Amino acid sequence: MKSSLTFHKVIVGLLVIYLLIPLVGTFLFSIAGKWDHTILPESYTMDWYIELFQDERFYDAFRRTLFLIVMSVGLSVVIMLPTIFIITVYFSKWEGLLQAAAMLPYGIPPIVGAVGLIKVYSDGPIQIAGTPWILIGAYFITILPFMYQGIRSSLRTINAVQLVDAAELLGATKFQSFRTVVFPNIISGILVSTLLSVALLFSEFAFANLLVGGRFETIQIYLADKLNSSGHLTSAIVITYYSMILLLTGIVLKLTFRNEKNPVVSNKKRILSFFKKQHCNKNTAIEGEK
Amino acid sequence: MNYVTIDQVTKGYENQVVLNDISLTLKKGEFATLLGQSGCGKSTLLRSIAGLEGVDVGRILIDGKDITNLSPRQREVGMVFQSYALFPNMSVFDNIAYGLKMKKVKNIKSKVKNMIDMVDLIGKEESYPHQLSGGQQQRVALARALVMEPKVLLLDEPLSALDAKIRKSLQKELKRIQKELDITTIFVTHDQEEAMTMSDRIFVMNKGKVVQSGSPSEIYTSPVNTFVAKFIGNYNVCNMEVFHKLVRSTELKGNEVAIRPEVLQLVSAGEDSLDLQENWGIKGVIKDVSMTGNVLRYEVETDESAFLVDYLHHRGEMFEQGARVHILVPKKECIIL
Ligand SMILES: Nc1ncnc2c1ncn2[C@@H]1O[C@H](COP(=O)(O)OP(=O)(O)O)[C@@H](O)[C@H]1O
Ligand SMILES: [Mg+2]
Repeated sequence: MKSSLTFHKVIVGLLVIYLLIPLVGTFLFSIAGKWDHTILPESYTMDWYIELFQDERFYDAFRRTLFLIVMSVGLSVVIMLPTIFIITVYFSKWEGLLQAAAMLPYGIPPIVGAVGLIKVYSDGPIQIAGTPWILIGAYFITILPFMYQGIRSSLRTINAVQLVDAAELLGATKFQSFRTVVFPNIISGILVSTLLSVALLFSEFAFANLLVGGRFETIQIYLADKLNSSGHLTSAIVITYYSMILLLTGIVLKLTFRNEKNPVVSNKKRILSFFKKQHCNKNTAIEGEK
Repeated sequence: MNYVTIDQVTKGYENQVVLNDISLTLKKGEFATLLGQSGCGKSTLLRSIAGLEGVDVGRILIDGKDITNLSPRQREVGMVFQSYALFPNMSVFDNIAYGLKMKKVKNIKSKVKNMIDMVDLIGKEESYPHQLSGGQQQRVALARALVMEPKVLLLDEPLSALDAKIRKSLQKELKRIQKELDITTIFVTHDQEEAMTMSDRIFVMNKGKVVQSGSPSEIYTSPVNTFVAKFIGNYNVCNMEVFHKLVRSTELKGNEVAIRPEVLQLVSAGEDSLDLQENWGIKGVIKDVSMTGNVLRYEVETDESAFLVDYLHHRGEMFEQGARVHILVPKKECIIL
């Protein structure tokens, strides 16, 4: 019993080390000065980060990526939430079709998708090939499966159909029952799929490179470009954006975990406090900038 | 004057008829029960009355008004679901107040308070559904429906998820509240005992049809067909030819005969003081004895078929397994189907 426990611990430990070594290496490299014939760097420096944070291109790329993510994830929520709700509650016989449509993107490799998109949108009525708009469209499709699954399973978990039945019998209109009964109970589920989508899009390279490339430099394209100039700088970028993904994942985990422990009740409060915290962070960040 | 009228309602899904030409009427203040096995269409009928499902053919009237094509919110009916369907993001108070808020009525606070008082949930106003027991949640669901003062209250197996003890006490309480408010109620259950104790009137359903309606004692003492006889009272149902052989008499006519287990008597095979004026005697052997609380149930094997015989459990009087007996069948208790 005891020895098998040790065995498990060793396995887990090895796995963690295996996963962490490249990360630790990257981190060390991003703060290393001279590092060629020793195991650990001979000297440490924050120069790479300073260089990174002083580079206008980095901020621009970051802003562009954020713009793309906010637009496509926002669009996805605005379009998919009502669609899935209406299909699930009022037209359940179309559910199979919606599910098939939402899962389709899984089956299309980005390269194939990108080539197709460029072909379709480079002439004809909608000529958006090479602009960020085509990327937003592609990202919308990329995150479709996640958004679909997240929203639909939230609706299932709370048994939305029955809640709507109950609300309508109590005199609520269809819209009122969605707003007062369904939405507050699935908001945390939606938030989780939203954050997952954000994390996914953050590291998206294939579509960005093929569809717009250098014309609309996203963080990933910036990263790819820097790869050629300075290894230290690249490491600093990777670590920076990795920290952000980590932060996001942390928030997702925290939300899901709390969700299971304490279903929906204080969701509103929790999310409010979450946004308040974010808000404070933002304030400090802005003050820091000044 | 009928308060609720269901007039030749038929409904089907794809290729399956779920409600088959159902007609029934209720008086104001009546407690009616739809009783039938799972899948016979009880919930579908209830949901059709509530407007959550449409019907293919037929009309539904409440208080003289044809509501067949109204939306649920216009029908003035209240409904309690088997799984409660409470709003998880709202406290007990807000759950109960929800309908009143939607309707923008006045005095919401005092109405909700009264209702909380009535269903005995004082002190739980600020609790959330997941903090309540099943029984408490069901009370909230009931209060939420009742506070709207609906014309008809629909209850879809509201107690079947609860354990036996809480169920019994909630049955009583539900009945008390229903009497107090004098509210016309349609209750759905698959449990014949529950239907018997609670209802003014029972509609027995089978395969989308109402097969019999009447007061609990009418249904119990004179079932109209084999299905009702077996479903309601564990009747012994016996083919007439077989019965003729067993009792060596062809006095009874008809297809089948149904006899309740508790009207049968057992006499040891040795005794010869049998009253064969009022009864028929059938020879048999005790095959099995089982006890359900205060009732002893014997399974008696005869030449042709097995009979169930119920006895109240008195101390000391018991036939052993394998004992040879006569079953005394009172002639006037035989129901011909
Ligand atoms: N939405 C639906 N689509 C197809 N069939 C259904 C639907 N709802 C119920 N049914 C069918 O109708 C029959 C009656 O169901 P229901 O009214 O729920 O029965 P009960 O409440 O008596 O158990 C069942 O055979 C069920 O499979
Ligand atoms: Mg049912």
